[in-house]
Amino acid sequence: MAAGWLWRRLCQQSVFPGNYASTILQKQCSLLNCALMGTRLAGSHVDTQEPKTNPLVSVSDEPETLYKRLSLLVKGHDKAVLDSYEYFAVLAAKELGISIEKVHKPPKTIERLTLLKSVHIYKKHRVQYEMRTHYMCLELKYLTSSTARVYLEYVQRNLPEGVAMEVKKTKIEKIPEHIKEPVWDTLPQVEETEIKS
Amino acid sequence: MAAAAARSLRAVPCVLPAASRALHTSPACLKARAARARVGKGDRAVTYEQAHAPHYIAHRKGWLSLHTGNLAGEEGAAERALEDAFLRRFLYGTFPGMLADEVVLKRRANLLELCLLLARGLAPAKLYFLVGYTETLLSHFYKCPVRLHLQTVPTKVAYKYL
Repeated sequence: MAAGWLWRRLCQQSVFPGNYASTILQKQCSLLNCALMGTRLAGSHVDTQEPKTNPLVSVSDEPETLYKRLSLLVKGHDKAVLDSYEYFAVLAAKELGISIEKVHKPPKTIERLTLLKSVHIYKKHRVQYEMRTHYMCLELKYLTSSTARVYLEYVQRNLPEGVAMEVKKTKIEKIPEHIKEPVWDTLPQVEETEIKS
Repeated sequence: MAAAAARSLRAVPCVLPAASRALHTSPACLKARAARARVGKGDRAVTYEQAHAPHYIAHRKGWLSLHTGNLAGEEGAAERALEDAFLRRFLYGTFPGMLADEVVLKRRANLLELCLLLARGLAPAKLYFLVGYTETLLSHFYKCPVRLHLQTVPTKVAYKYL
């Protein structure tokens, strides 16, 4: 499966010329023939007339909502886990072509508790516990709703255990019609009437 | 003359702070005893997990139960703690005398993953049955998918002898 994915990437980047690619493909076919009889390798150029309709892809005519900023705040107890997750999320965004605004680490919050050490009396002897929460904020800019959905689904499915995520989306909307021009220009001209006292 | 000396001492301002040394003794019952294996004769084998005190968590130890309940701004810490206690007792009873180390519980979205380290004492067929039994029973009990990851070791790994 990994070989097929790599092969597809190479074909997209068109590193190898056509003839070389077909010979490599035949060698690959012969090597994997025993296990994959009758199956089609991912990226194999088989000329078929049937159109490939992926059931997971939906096409609609509605205009997509545009997001100015997608802010992911990731919280965890372990800093090493957050660091590796940051590398993974940034890599995923780069592969999907999403522009990253900034990646910053807000300072950690420590929640401390001071409890009595003993079950009964001994008020002067206490025990202190603390819970540290480390943060990592990833801000992406200028996304469409479908891109945001795909990226969020991928990134959230691979969220490690013990790590929480908060997502904030900033939408871009058109300025409403009634604000575009000042009010005093739109009102009809009122004739001044003299007030006779 | 003693009175004159005392008067002169009182006249000179005392620059030194009150320097006194006291010995702080704590009775044995007030020492911290949580999750610490006390030193004994030297014949008791102790695993890496048991040998380290809780202040070594995040420095030399990892976490045994991974969930988001204890993070700032998240809820459900008490429920997770109760579930953890029940799961550890349940697994301790289901695999009698075979747990080589503490169970590691991982929670990811709805999924609950239990990672066990077992000493080899049962036939593999019986182990498979027990794995299936725990998975189905716990998933019906907690209404969430439960996965059990097993690893067998020849014997308990001793880090120290206390």
